[in-house]
Amino acid sequence: MVLEATMICIDNSEWMRNGDYSPSRLRAQSDAVSLICGAKTQSNPENTVGVLTMAGKGVRVLTTPTTDLGKILACMHDIEMGGEMNIAAGIQVAQLALKHRQNKNQHQRIIVFAGSPLKNDKKVMEMIGKKLKKNSVALDIVNFGEEDDGKPEKLEALLAAVNNNESSHIVNIPPGPNALSDLLISTPIFNVDGGGSGFAAAAVAAAAGNVSDFEFGVDPNIDPELALALRVSMEEERARQEAAAKKAADEAVKEGKGEEPPSSSQDATMTENFNAAAEATEKTAEPMDEENALLQRALSVSMNTTGPDSSVADAVMSEANEDKELALALQMSMQEDIKDPSNQTDISKVLGDQSFVSSILTSLPGVDPNDPSVKDLIASLQGQPESSQQKKDEDEPPKADK
Amino acid sequence: MSGESANAILRSQVDLLDFIDWSGVECLNQNTAHSLPNALKQGYREDDGLNLESDADEQLLIHIPFTQVIKLHSIVIKGTEEEGPKTVKLFSNRDHMGFSNVNDFPASDSAVLTPENLQGKPVVLKFVKFQNVRSLAIFIEDNQGGSDVTKVQKIALFGTTVETTDMKGLKKIEDGH
Repeated sequence: MVLEATMICIDNSEWMRNGDYSPSRLRAQSDAVSLICGAKTQSNPENTVGVLTMAGKGVRVLTTPTTDLGKILACMHDIEMGGEMNIAAGIQVAQLALKHRQNKNQHQRIIVFAGSPLKNDKKVMEMIGKKLKKNSVALDIVNFGEEDDGKPEKLEALLAAVNNNESSHIVNIPPGPNALSDLLISTPIFNVDGGGSGFAAAAVAAAAGNVSDFEFGVDPNIDPELALALRVSMEEERARQEAAAKKAADEAVKEGKGEEPPSSSQDATMTENFNAAAEATEKTAEPMDEENALLQRALSVSMNTTGPDSSVADAVMSEANEDKELALALQMSMQEDIKDPSNQTDISKVLGDQSFVSSILTSLPGVDPNDPSVKDLIASLQGQPESSQQKKDEDEPPKADK
Repeated sequence: MSGESANAILRSQVDLLDFIDWSGVECLNQNTAHSLPNALKQGYREDDGLNLESDADEQLLIHIPFTQVIKLHSIVIKGTEEEGPKTVKLFSNRDHMGFSNVNDFPASDSAVLTPENLQGKPVVLKFVKFQNVRSLAIFIEDNQGGSDVTKVQKIALFGTTVETTDMKGLKKIEDGH
C-alpha cells in the first residue's frame, strides 16, 4: 500500500497509428492507462496519477497528478497523433510535475510508454536516469511498438541508471493477439507488493470476458476457497443431473411396461446400471437404494397382471419423489388404457342401436331403404329382437323421404 | 575566541539525538547500502567504518525533523580527508526540498569544513538564525577531494530545547537539596 504519485508518459507519435496492437497502438495505450489508474487508486486511495503526451507539437501535460479517475479518462479521449516522441523532455516534464505534487509524502514514479524509435543517445538517457535516481523517482518503462536498433540498449541503460533497490522495471511487450493491457497486468508494473493483483484479477475477468486461464474465472491463487467451492458445486450439479437423466430414462421404461409385457432383461440391465451408478456416486447412494426398491416392486407387480396393476402402479408412481408431473402423466395414461375398452363398448353400443343406424343409412343419399340389400344389411346388424322397431323405423323414414 | 566557543559549547551542550523525529528523517541521493542511520544513529556514528555515502553524484540532501522546537548551536561532521564533505549549507524549517530548489532559498547558515572539522571539531553556527527550529535540512554540496562519492562518518547536532530549561544547571545551584 505504498503512497505514490505517478506520472504516465504516453507516446502519441505517428508510429502509434499502426494496428499491430489492437485496435491501434494509441488505443492500446489508453486502455493500459485506465487499467493502471484503477490499480493504483485501488491499492491506496490517496495515490494520484497524472498523464502527459510526449509527441505532437511538444510535451503536454494533460492532467497533473490527481485521484480523479474520470478526469484522466476524459483526457485520454482527446489525444491526437502526430509528430515524434521526445522521451528526454517527456521524462523531465514528468519529473517537474511530480515535484509540484500536492502531497509531498508520496513517492514519485514515472511510467513511460516507449513505442517509437529513440532519437536521444545513450549518454543522455543515462544522465536522465541519474537525475531521477538522485531525486528518488522510480521509473517503469514499457517497451513496445517499433523495434529500433539500439532502442533496447538505451532503455536498459536508462533503467540501470535509475534503478534504486529494484523499484524500477522495464517490460517488453511484443505485438500479438493479446491486448497490451492484458499483458501488462502480469508484470511488476501492476503487481507491486501484490497490492494490485486483486484488482488485476478482476480486471482480467471483466475485460477478457470468457477468456480466462483459470476455471470459473477465479484465480485459485487469489481465492482458493472460492475456486474450490465452485468446483465442488459444479460436480454436485453434474452428478445430480446424471441421476435425474437416469431416473427419467428409467421411468420411461416403466411406462412402456404398462402397455406390453415387461422385458425383464432390459429392466435388469437398467437396475444394474442403477446399481453401478449408485456405487459410483456415494452422495446419491441413498436415493438410489430407494429407487431400487421401487423398481423391484414395480417389476414384480407388472409381472403378475396387466389389468389391475394400474392402481398399484399408480401407488408406486406416487411414491416416487421426483417428477411428480411424470407420475401424473403416467397415471393419466393408465386411466386412459382402462377407458379404452369401455370406449370400445360405447361405440359398439352406438352401432348396435338399430334405429340410429338405419336413420343414418336412410339419410344417406342414394340409399333406398326399400332396397332388399339394404334391408339385409340392417338385419344383419341387428343382433337383438328389435325387428318390430326396425320395421317401424323403416316405415317412417320412407314416409319422411316421400 | 576558541575558549569562548568551547565554553559556549559546554554550557549548552545537549546532543539533540534524542529529539530527532526518526519517522520523518530523509536523505536524497544516498546509497541504500550506506544510508543515513550510519551517520546519525547512536553507536553507528561512532563506528568510522560505517558511512553515509552519496549515490548518483557527490551531493547529499538530508532532512531531519525534530520532536520539539530546538535551538541549534553547533554541529559536528566527521569524514575522511579526501571524501568528506566540504561545503555544507543548513536550512531551518524548510520541508520537502529538492536538489533543484535548494539554491533558491538563502541558507540559514553555511560552512566550509576544514580538516579539523572533519576530525570532530564542532562548527559553531549563527545561533540567532536557529532559535526556533522544527526541522533542519543539511545540504552537502561537494566534498574535499572533488570525487563523485561523498562519505560522511558522523553527524552530531548540539543545542538546547526551547521548552525545558537547563535542569543540570539548576541542580548545581541548588546543591544543598
